[in-house]
Amino acid sequence: MSLQTDQAIKLSSGYRLQWEDAQQMFVLLYPEGLIELNQSSAEILQLCDAQHKLADIVQTLETKFSTTGLKNDIVSFLTIALDNGWINQSA
Amino acid sequence: MAGSIKAPSPPRWLLAELTYACPLQCPYCSNPLDYANIKDELSTNDWKRVLKQSRDMGAVQLGFSGGEPLVRKDLVELVDYSHGLGYYTNLITSGYNMDKEKIIALKNAGLDHIQISLQASSKELNDFIAGAESFEHKKHVAKLIKKNGYPMVLCVVLHRQNIHQMKEILEMAIELGADFVELANTQYYGWAQHNRDQLLPTHEQLQTAEAIANQYQASQKGKMKIYYVVPDYFEGRPKACMNGWGTTFLTIAPDGLALPCHSARQLPNFDCPNVNEHSISDIWNDSTAFNYFRGDRWMKEPCRSCPEKDKDFGGCHCQAFLLTGDASNADPVCDLSPLHHTVTDAIEQAGQVSQTVEQPLLFRNPKNSKQLKKSP
Repeated sequence: MSLQTDQAIKLSSGYRLQWEDAQQMFVLLYPEGLIELNQSSAEILQLCDAQHKLADIVQTLETKFSTTGLKNDIVSFLTIALDNGWINQSA
Repeated sequence: MAGSIKAPSPPRWLLAELTYACPLQCPYCSNPLDYANIKDELSTNDWKRVLKQSRDMGAVQLGFSGGEPLVRKDLVELVDYSHGLGYYTNLITSGYNMDKEKIIALKNAGLDHIQISLQASSKELNDFIAGAESFEHKKHVAKLIKKNGYPMVLCVVLHRQNIHQMKEILEMAIELGADFVELANTQYYGWAQHNRDQLLPTHEQLQTAEAIANQYQASQKGKMKIYYVVPDYFEGRPKACMNGWGTTFLTIAPDGLALPCHSARQLPNFDCPNVNEHSISDIWNDSTAFNYFRGDRWMKEPCRSCPEKDKDFGGCHCQAFLLTGDASNADPVCDLSPLHHTVTDAIEQAGQVSQTVEQPLLFRNPKNSKQLKKSP
């Protein structure tokens, strides 16, 4: 199971991304679990909406932050997310 | 000793123990031994106040537990209210008396997830441990949970009498389509502590079981997530209990007692506040109970000078109390504790007791509860 470039990415079933006012951060919620996300992780996961493929996510974030060269960081985060079952892909 | 220097982090997890009533009689239940004498239960409106105040402080994971939370007639209403507040709602249930209508009503109310427990992989042993005929019904409910689109956690509490079924338990989890499996070695509080000699597994049993769990973790990767809760009596270091006292977890007992961990009400002379008298904010930030073990000022040696004190926070205070008589001692599962022998002696003693001798399992039910004295 590795990250596919030709498939859109989505949060796994039962996972929910949510902004928490009290903590001023995004959290990823799942059965009996909670992950507090830093800003870059939250930016990436917000784009895992079953619409964006890897290249779309990279392009969207590079445009949003007026920068380049984000691909490696994004791939490594998404690989961890996939490995942990937070996200999955379907054709 | 009370009081902390910096403001505590907000609660993130709320465990709502809605009732101590339960149709099952599991002899490892974590509820207090004298639960049958605790009759008061919070009203629906009390719970809504607690849920709102906790959410306002930052709690976001919510477990409805018990006893058996399905016993509460207002469960669907409380799930609906919590979902509206933005909680991720978890129902922790035996599945007993669950039916299709209830599962759908809870789904419509916004319930995010159901954790169902089975006691074993065979009908005979499951029904014996549960103290009620329930095996086929539980499996039916597990399938209904999946059919209705919930993520499902299958929880099996492990002990000497069922740990030999590890392979069959995992095969059953696959058959039922569990998304997560929690293989929870018994933690020795409440009824489990009372029945410890009958429940503690042997080293050999644990090694065999853990090897099987590891195999399945590898082979099920990407399909079913398997959590193996380590048996802390057999570890050299204590667990980081509750992620640190008063840092993350808030438990509200059926009668409104606010607890830094679900076993804390058994600590003697420990004045846990009640939500009928105080706000969640006052309880979390200012109560003596929640501040008592925050930080490290309460620590004695060997914890105080230990380089690992920020990793395990001295372990579990309830366990320190149960085994050494003083909750401020290091958790004696730590092999640096001068009282570590209380753990190794318990393992040795349990190894000598076979399940056929004089003392049978004491099942958790109101009759047994009333006959026991308050402390273990």
